[in-house]
Amino acid sequence: MASKQVPLIETVDLRKSYFSEELETAVLHGLNLTINEEEFVSIMGPSGSGKSTLMHILGFLDQPTSGKYLFRGEATRTMTDDELAAIRATRVSFVFQAFNLLPRTTVLENVMLPLLYHPTIPASERRDRAMHAIETVGLGDRATYYTNQLSGGQQQRTAIARALVTEPDVIFADEPTGNLDSKSGNQVMEAIQELHAAGGRTIILVTHEQNTAQHAKRIIHLRDGHIDSDTTKFKRLNAKKNHNLTK
Amino acid sequence: MLVIDTFQAARKSLDRNRNRAMLTMLGVIIGVGSVVLMTSVGASMEELILGQISSIGAQSMVIFPGQQEGAEGTVQAGFDSITFSDIEALEKLDTVTSIAPAMFLPVPQATYGRETTEPRVIGTVPNYFRNRELTLSAGRLLEDADIRGARNVVVLSSEIVDDLFGKQDPIGKRIKIGSRFYEVVGTLESVGTQFFQNADEFVFIPLSTARAQTGQKYLNVVSLQAVGNFDLAQSDVETLLRKRHGIVGDDDFIVRTSAQANDILGAVSLGLTLFITTIAGISLIVGGIGIMNIMLVAVSERTREIGLRKAVGAKRRDILLQFLIEAIALTVIAGMIGVFLGLALAGLVAGIVDKFLPTYDFVLSLPSIGIALCMAFATGLGFGLYPARKAALLSPMNALRYE
Repeated sequence: MASKQVPLIETVDLRKSYFSEELETAVLHGLNLTINEEEFVSIMGPSGSGKSTLMHILGFLDQPTSGKYLFRGEATRTMTDDELAAIRATRVSFVFQAFNLLPRTTVLENVMLPLLYHPTIPASERRDRAMHAIETVGLGDRATYYTNQLSGGQQQRTAIARALVTEPDVIFADEPTGNLDSKSGNQVMEAIQELHAAGGRTIILVTHEQNTAQHAKRIIHLRDGHIDSDTTKFKRLNAKKNHNLTK
Repeated sequence: MLVIDTFQAARKSLDRNRNRAMLTMLGVIIGVGSVVLMTSVGASMEELILGQISSIGAQSMVIFPGQQEGAEGTVQAGFDSITFSDIEALEKLDTVTSIAPAMFLPVPQATYGRETTEPRVIGTVPNYFRNRELTLSAGRLLEDADIRGARNVVVLSSEIVDDLFGKQDPIGKRIKIGSRFYEVVGTLESVGTQFFQNADEFVFIPLSTARAQTGQKYLNVVSLQAVGNFDLAQSDVETLLRKRHGIVGDDDFIVRTSAQANDILGAVSLGLTLFITTIAGISLIVGGIGIMNIMLVAVSERTREIGLRKAVGAKRRDILLQFLIEAIALTVIAGMIGVFLGLALAGLVAGIVDKFLPTYDFVLSLPSIGIALCMAFATGLGFGLYPARKAALLSPMNALRYE
């Protein structure tokens, strides 16, 4: 994994513990992990293995208890709340298992939401950028629909459009197919794969499903807060590359 | 995040929960509405009272016989302390003019033909009409010659004219007051109520005539006007009467001035204002607690939304502002509704009261509306801050996981 350029994500002895009533529960036991730009990585593991915690830390939603987390070579442990918010606004975005769309709100408004908090994208560009992202996930004709009028797959694709709209460096997908039937799940995974194939983006997929994880070219297995295995394949990408998105 | 976006976000979320927002606002609506209603009614009352009192005139004073009771003064005893020689002495003072002594005659009835009425009979002098700003409608007022000759002439107030003559012309007619006949020489314009008494049910006869008829040696009331400095005139009058009556302790007369009346009015209206403000304050606190309660519900209900907003880059300040603006929007909208409601009710009250007190007018109290709206704003700010802070400090991860 050694690279001439600075890796996108690098952790050194990353640890995370939760404390409740002076009882320490260690979730991550010193992870050393490097993820380069434009990688598509699956983080797998049974529940309780620490994969969600790892994603939250890598996605700046949570802070490690100890160890280093370098993002583009920059240490992040000392960042203030506002600095972390700024990184979340510009560098990373999320696709959640439960979609987390705003209720009684249109697809367009949902996709525009991250742009409200983006420090540099002007308000006048929001609509066009959001429409572009919505078209990318194949929901161009649903932009004015309320999200509760959409199927689960369409809702998750709305969430993907929302993740895309700020053109982040990394998209974190946390069990994105977990709430979907297999057909919708496949469509969502195809959309994610398509995104990666288009280039320029790192995708980190957290899942416990082998099928879903197989979409990535690199699979990291976590077990009890340790890296169990870290394997890279190359076939999968070519097999799926030319699939077109369907609604 | 731009401020306008924050407003948009607040507006949308209020829109989504319109019914709840309305119920939440009720407390503030009632609070603000009652402030506006009560201050408007209070201002109307004040105008009404001022209207009654201003009939004294700023340079006027009125002397009553009797004793002052307590600080604010109630006539107690000694109705005979002011005499005709007191009047003569007063007339020699340089600082007062237009002295109008008057006596009340205990006459039960006045009749003209078959019509009878129960007037209040006053024996007085021409100055009285000037001091009370009574204006002639037909004929003439009492004149000095009437006083000198102790003539049996009478000037009638408008209601007495209506009662006795209806549509007939009363001038030159003779009416019977008590057991004597008087010639009607003049009639007065209607003045409505003064000092909360109907001022249109009087008949005025010359003081000398009244004195001759009753043999009364004292006067019931003396009105007069200050010349130049009012306080000097008042103290002259008081000094003179004390000296003449040989007073060392309590006075046996009362001098009423419009300044006193204004003082009393001021005290009353200050008390009223404090009372209303207290009530309004309590209802705004209750309303504010309602707002806080509902905002706390909103924060916990929308924990995942807050988490999401944070996950896509919202700073603490963005979340804080969004919820704060929501709370303030709630209270300010409620405040505006309250203002309209309060004004509508005040208008209704004015419409009803006007039937009984024609001089009662609807008064719009602009400062109180401004204050009420500011209080609504402050309520939103004060009671919205805690929930908004709570929302802003949520950890994004915990917020996202919240069920």
